[in-house]
Amino acid sequence: MGDVIGLSEAQLHALVGHRFSGGRYRIEHWENWLLTDCTGREPLPDRLVHPIVLFHVPILGVGTSITELFALGGVAGAGSVGLEGYDWEYFGPLVEDVEYRMEGGIVAANRVTDETGRVVDKMAFEITLFDETDRMAARITNRWVLRR
Amino acid sequence: MNEPADIGPGDEIPTWTMPFVDPARMRTMAAILRDPYPVHWDRDGNAALGLPGRVINQGPLNLGYIVNMLLAWAGPSCVRRLTVSFGRPVLDGDHVTAGGRVTSIADIDGERRATCDVWLDRDGEHVVTGTAVVALGAR
Repeated sequence: MGDVIGLSEAQLHALVGHRFSGGRYRIEHWENWLLTDCTGREPLPDRLVHPIVLFHVPILGVGTSITELFALGGVAGAGSVGLEGYDWEYFGPLVEDVEYRMEGGIVAANRVTDETGRVVDKMAFEITLFDETDRMAARITNRWVLRR
Repeated sequence: MNEPADIGPGDEIPTWTMPFVDPARMRTMAAILRDPYPVHWDRDGNAALGLPGRVINQGPLNLGYIVNMLLAWAGPSCVRRLTVSFGRPVLDGDHVTAGGRVTSIADIDGERRATCDVWLDRDGEHVVTGTAVVALGAR
């Protein structure tokens, strides 16, 4: 079993309820074009953004960053973070050049022993996107595995 | 695609293939995501992970191949929900294929939606698995 360093179990549990500062994000055409190209397909019509925009836009739009999320989880370095899973809901089409408002926080954090007997931490955060009329446009829950 | 009324449980979604996972796209993706995690661009650093000389594709890109399959099948605004789990990492140079199968059909919020099992395969092994909810006729 590996040593767990960085956060005590109590500190880990205390992450639940942490709220991000909140903020806004506008997906520009160049960003959507490059993102879509990285997936290996042509741009979508009618200014639609590629659905995988729901990884980075909520994180940046809610006022945090991948770096800050790693720091909150007390991890750094190659192999320290793994993706466990995503749950992404789309309540309306996401399009370029619309300013989305975002709010969210950490909704789960717990320490478990994985199938290899190694102690790992799991952290989940949820972020909701609202359109310019303040209607919910999307909601994401991302689950990460933090290895010490 | 078939007409929405013709689609039913058990139907296979036409596969979508990424024949070569390109490390240059990983670098572009890292910049877009503002992702400082070096596993996506530092080949030397990944030796410590047992992956010397290789780089690891971003999870959102792996999901993106599944999404591209769904968009090609049901239209550019079809995706309503994605719930996925990540298994083994996808590496530069890999050949991966997205696949899926309809498991149920329902009328929700005035549209016909298909719930589908979806996956991303490399050498016959699932490296991403999950469920997608797709609006049919949402072109």
